[in-house]
Amino acid sequence: MLRTEQLCKRLDTFFLRDISLEVAQGDYYVLLGRSGAGKTQLLELICGLTPPDKGKIFLGDEDITRRRVQDRGIGLVFQDLALFPHYSVKDNIMYPLRIMKLPLRERIDRVQRAAEEMNITDLLLRKPENLSGGEKQRVALARTLVTQPRVLLLDEPMASVDASLKDSIRRMLRRLNRNGQTIVHVTHDFGEAISLASRVGVMHNGRIIQEGTPEEVFTHPVNRFVARYAGIKNFFRVTFVRSYNCCSCITDNRTKFKLPKGDYPSSGLLIIAAAEVLLSRQGAAGVQINNIHGVIEDIVPSPLGYEITVDAGDHFFADITRREMDEHKYVTGEPVIVSFRPESLRLVGDGEEKKEY
Amino acid sequence: MRGHTLFNWIFAILASLVLLFIIAPLAGMFLNTSAGEMRMTAADPDVIRSVWYTLAIAFTATLLFAIGAVPLAWIMARRKFPLKNVVQGIIDLPVVLPHTAAGIALLGFISRDGFLGGAAQKAGILLVNNGAGIALAMAFVSLPFLINAARDGFAAVPERTEKAALMLGASQSRIFFTVSLPQAWRSVVSGFIMMFARGMSEFGAVVIIAYHPMIAPVLIYDRFNTYGLSAARPASIVFILVALFFFVLFRVLATERRQILRREDDATD
Repeated sequence: MLRTEQLCKRLDTFFLRDISLEVAQGDYYVLLGRSGAGKTQLLELICGLTPPDKGKIFLGDEDITRRRVQDRGIGLVFQDLALFPHYSVKDNIMYPLRIMKLPLRERIDRVQRAAEEMNITDLLLRKPENLSGGEKQRVALARTLVTQPRVLLLDEPMASVDASLKDSIRRMLRRLNRNGQTIVHVTHDFGEAISLASRVGVMHNGRIIQEGTPEEVFTHPVNRFVARYAGIKNFFRVTFVRSYNCCSCITDNRTKFKLPKGDYPSSGLLIIAAAEVLLSRQGAAGVQINNIHGVIEDIVPSPLGYEITVDAGDHFFADITRREMDEHKYVTGEPVIVSFRPESLRLVGDGEEKKEY
Repeated sequence: MRGHTLFNWIFAILASLVLLFIIAPLAGMFLNTSAGEMRMTAADPDVIRSVWYTLAIAFTATLLFAIGAVPLAWIMARRKFPLKNVVQGIIDLPVVLPHTAAGIALLGFISRDGFLGGAAQKAGILLVNNGAGIALAMAFVSLPFLINAARDGFAAVPERTEKAALMLGASQSRIFFTVSLPQAWRSVVSGFIMMFARGMSEFGAVVIIAYHPMIAPVLIYDRFNTYGLSAARPASIVFILVALFFFVLFRVLATERRQILRREDDATD
């Protein structure tokens, strides 16, 4: 459907380099990355607001790299929504339909349909300055959707929406996608990516460094950057040691981990999900190996309980529930044992950590 | 707290002195002119003709030059090009030039030997000692007010709304007329009023181009030279009152438009 081939663009502060991505018809593709990673610039290249220095953009079988913005069949909803402040909601939505020179009846019908779909029929006579962030978001979407774009580009669509309204916007976007709308959505929030994406591309410093389904990306991050983005905090650079009947590895800070049997490279990056790190005073029941002594350094409340940081030479992060906290009453400075099963350890990438650009 | 009060007092006194400096000469002029003199001057056909002439020429000059000044303002706000600072300097030049010098420069340009004057004469139009020449002189010294105000207005329009219109299929000209200009409208109108006001009060450049037909500032000068201060005073008052009336009228109309827009907004709530 939408395909870019080695797009390059020199910008004021950095390069967008060799961006090749493919979005199939009906996909919900989420581009994930920190601010300044080049996500918005990539959207502007795709829709034609900025010309690329090199590379090609295809929509279907057509090369649209040099096509006029107006003729690309791509819709873009800006992060700041860019509603026309001097027009009413109705006139905002009507704007592209006037350009298309549709008969008045059809224009009115399309505005009405879009307003009903976005649940904004009661706002049609208002001016944008009198709308909430969520309402503005719906109006901006309706204004773009009436043009029936083949691909809808969304730049941080949740940025101007209250946390309480994010769910309803998410539901609306999922519904749009279910109805066949191909969407490319840019965000810095990996929670948004997990909840919406059928495919994810992680951008860092002007490159897409990993692409795949959300599960592939978040369970097998290619490097420390992606792992951190996926919310994983326990990662350790290790050297693997092979002996007669077992495998183990040792971190740069001399912490030793036992590993399941297998083939390992000489060195690499290991991660453990915080939920799989067990905390106890006498060693976790049923875990005979990988019991590491440390001291609680910090206890921070989290949405589902607490995140406890343990200093054991290396720092370990463990998620525990409120019930566990009530039961054990951990305090900072207290000696504890960090445990985890060998199967909880995951090797990042193919062993060799991919370069962090 | 005491220091704070002293600060307020000093600033209030300094501000009052400046305001007094503006008000005192005008108030003195009004107080030293009798009602009879005012009535006579207001009925003087020469005065009436020159006031209307001034207003008409200043308005026409503003309107005609706005056709080019507004696009120039948009270019200055939106486009990057080499020597942009030089172009901005050229736009501001009439503000810093002595107005008589501006008149001399313009006279060379629009006299029969000048580039524009020669071309106009071939078309049968005489620019010197003529309303057209006066309009050019007024425009020359007052254009920066319109261009700069409109430029600031266009610069304040969020560029994203223009990009959004492009994404929705609009052409450049449609974007200008339906997105940029309506949002910058207030500044453009404000610049228009300032250019009109500055143009109609111009003396230095106009008197070089055309002593006759007399516009109001030239007439006031002529009365002063010929009959003295007491004769020039009532004519000045009549011109000031008429100029103020139109200045306030335009301001009110612009505000009225804003209020209508605001009422429409409120009605939709």
